[in-house]
Amino acid sequence: MRLAVHRRGLAYVMLFLTAGAVLLGAGDAYAMRVATLVGTYAIAAIGFQLVFGRLGLLALSQGALFAIGAYALALSSVHWGWPPVLGLVLSVVVPALAGALVAVPIARLESHYVALATLGLAQLVLLAVTNLEVTGGANGLYGIPPLTVFGFDLSDSWRMLAVVWVAVAMALCVFAWATGAGRAGRLATLRDAPHAALALGLDPISNRLLAFTVAGALAGLAGGFQALGLGVVSPAVARFDVMITLLAIAVVGGRGSVWGAVTAAAILVPLPEVFRGLEQAYLLAYGVMLLAAVVALPTGIDGLVRRVLPDAPAPTPTPAAPKSRKISVLRVERVAKRFGGVQALDGAGFDARAGEVTGIIGANGSGKTTLLNIVTGLETADAGVVRLDAIPLLNHSPRARAGLGLARGFQHPEIPGGIDVLATVSVAATLGAGMAALERVGLAGRARVPATSLGPAERRRLDIARALAAGPTILLLDEPASGLGAGERADLAVLLCALAKSGMAVVVVEHGMDFLLPIADRLVCLDAGRVLAAGPTDAVCRDPAVIAAYLGTESAS
Amino acid sequence: MIEATVQLLATALALGSAYALTALGFVLIINAVGAVNFAHGDLVMAGGFVAVALSLLLPEGLPVPGLILLPAVLLTMAVGGAALAAVAYAPLRRSPPVSVFISTIAVGLILQHAISLGAGPQPRVGPSLVGDGLVDLLGAALSYQQLATIAVAAVLCLAVHTLLNRTRFGRQLRAAAQDPEMARACGIDLRITIGATFALAGALAGGAGLLLSNQYFVTPTDGAMFMLKAYVATVIGGWGRIWGAAVAALCIAVFEVLVAAAVSYLVAEMLLYLGVLALLMLRPQGLFGEAEGRRA
Repeated sequence: MRLAVHRRGLAYVMLFLTAGAVLLGAGDAYAMRVATLVGTYAIAAIGFQLVFGRLGLLALSQGALFAIGAYALALSSVHWGWPPVLGLVLSVVVPALAGALVAVPIARLESHYVALATLGLAQLVLLAVTNLEVTGGANGLYGIPPLTVFGFDLSDSWRMLAVVWVAVAMALCVFAWATGAGRAGRLATLRDAPHAALALGLDPISNRLLAFTVAGALAGLAGGFQALGLGVVSPAVARFDVMITLLAIAVVGGRGSVWGAVTAAAILVPLPEVFRGLEQAYLLAYGVMLLAAVVALPTGIDGLVRRVLPDAPAPTPTPAAPKSRKISVLRVERVAKRFGGVQALDGAGFDARAGEVTGIIGANGSGKTTLLNIVTGLETADAGVVRLDAIPLLNHSPRARAGLGLARGFQHPEIPGGIDVLATVSVAATLGAGMAALERVGLAGRARVPATSLGPAERRRLDIARALAAGPTILLLDEPASGLGAGERADLAVLLCALAKSGMAVVVVEHGMDFLLPIADRLVCLDAGRVLAAGPTDAVCRDPAVIAAYLGTESAS
Repeated sequence: MIEATVQLLATALALGSAYALTALGFVLIINAVGAVNFAHGDLVMAGGFVAVALSLLLPEGLPVPGLILLPAVLLTMAVGGAALAAVAYAPLRRSPPVSVFISTIAVGLILQHAISLGAGPQPRVGPSLVGDGLVDLLGAALSYQQLATIAVAAVLCLAVHTLLNRTRFGRQLRAAAQDPEMARACGIDLRITIGATFALAGALAGGAGLLLSNQYFVTPTDGAMFMLKAYVATVIGGWGRIWGAAVAALCIAVFEVLVAAAVSYLVAEMLLYLGVLALLMLRPQGLFGEAEGRRA
């Protein structure tokens, strides 16, 4: 599997090695300095691909972390007389810590707040380095000594080039590590399917922390190289231009693709040299390319390369049944929830027993989805009790509830981009368990296609498989049959009955009575946030209040 | 003492009214398309340059050059706003909002550097609204420009308020912003409401640019600063609340002017950004809460 996936990486490596050989053959010192600069920006851009491309956060602090790295090296070597090698260590460590510090407060923020918070930080860094005495104010810091290791001078143009590109290779390895071991799927799910991620028990905070720390370390290392290359650090490194360059590299290269980013760096970074004499005209060119890329080529350079060199289909793993647990009953009692002026739930509850399908019915706005959200922890209740056997759930995090065996399917499934169907269902389980879940919903044949290529009905089954993969004891589904054809509804009904028979408690919110009534052992009918009736399906169907409020006379038969 | 206070307040209010116009357009776009317009500050800057360019065409010695040019600047920048929607929003309306963040960053970059290449990077002076002169108020000498700035901004705000609340078209804009699906189902053409919102936002930004260009000059690099102030005002005022943002923008200007007078502009800037970081950490829903109806 690895070899097939790496066919593209191999092509990129060949391309870069060829370019490097041509460059060294020409032996032009100026060209080598530009190529060193390309490598420098590539390192910072690889880090940016982690937070921006993979986690989907427009973290506009990457340029500022680059500047912090540059100043860390300059300060340590100019003021404290550290050797630049040690300075480089500092320019990795300090921005990594700064990145982690950034991640903590913004870990829960939405995208538009993340952009502002990181922009504000960048502005503060710029103001600080421009005005502090210790950073040399507007003049910056001069006289950074050349890079030497054990007395061996690495500062001439080709040695510096080699050092920086070895660091690029290391950055690629770090990125591979940070997105390895199933993390790519988790990051994609956190980015594109935040609610599903929460219900599956993925932890946004630790993932953001890791991504920001790695991104900070790489940005800082790049800043350190920049300082060494120029011998000078001025507030120009903290200006927004650096951030713009990194953003343009990431978008033109293809969001989330590091190979594309390195290629884009090789195209974009030399542009200022081309436009020399025209001051900042290169930024005009960046603007045009950025706009063109985001509008016309959203997958960037890497998307183009993928068309020529698509991933060879990876083999599918053997299905493995997830470990099973046993519970007897989920008890939801007297739950209340108010949104502004609307009392969405007013003392509602239900019991869901293992081995049974429990249907929740009620008109639109009667509180069905809110009830599921509260049980799974996506929303907090104002009052009430939710118990899984003896364990009270309401003060547990969604993650802890997922760990106790709760799983949730959504009315509008969120499907992550950039990963295949199997990876999508396996984010909270092993690949074998994911495969088994796909077999249960009849998607095994589609395991290795991109998840986003599925049609609406398949997406719904994918969402259910994703919930099943972790081996839940309680499965809560929100209108799973809506939008399905008759055959698909029948398949789904068979699946839900089989799941219940295997000992799972299945809870289904549904409008389609023809679908629900034959499979539900018990029904709960909600009306305006209260339970109108609850009990065995037949009894609830005959309840005059239910008929009047919801079923109508025809479907009561 | 009292003269100095009146003087400072007039300065702050004049600056704040331009910020308020900027923030108003910024939030209108956020509400219409759910995305941040990073080019908004550059629209303000472009409005300033349009005013400068048009003022060169006017004969010398007109009594109220800025007021004469105001409609032309508003119109030009309304067209600019609509063009922004066509270029940076329309092709991306099915993409996640972050794509629009990026496309508007790109357009802002293009505006800034195209104007810098065309007009040069140095600051330019825009036309004064009603000529030069001073009014005495409680011993303080207030310039015609300051008073006219406040008056023009107030009239524009009132016009926006009337448009949004008293006209059928304004109700359509608000309906489309609040619930696009429902609005579409009611027969509202979202392309038109969104284009119109961008045009309105562009016109307001252009007006702010004209108002600022005389006293504060206009430089191609100014955009980012204006955008940041509007962004901060939006967070303080409560995400999605248009008048909350306008009032917050006014307060930011008062804060800035007072702190700059007492300590320095640098300290004012740093405190503003530190303040917004603290706010995002402690109360991300803003001081007054987010607008209703945007529950996830």
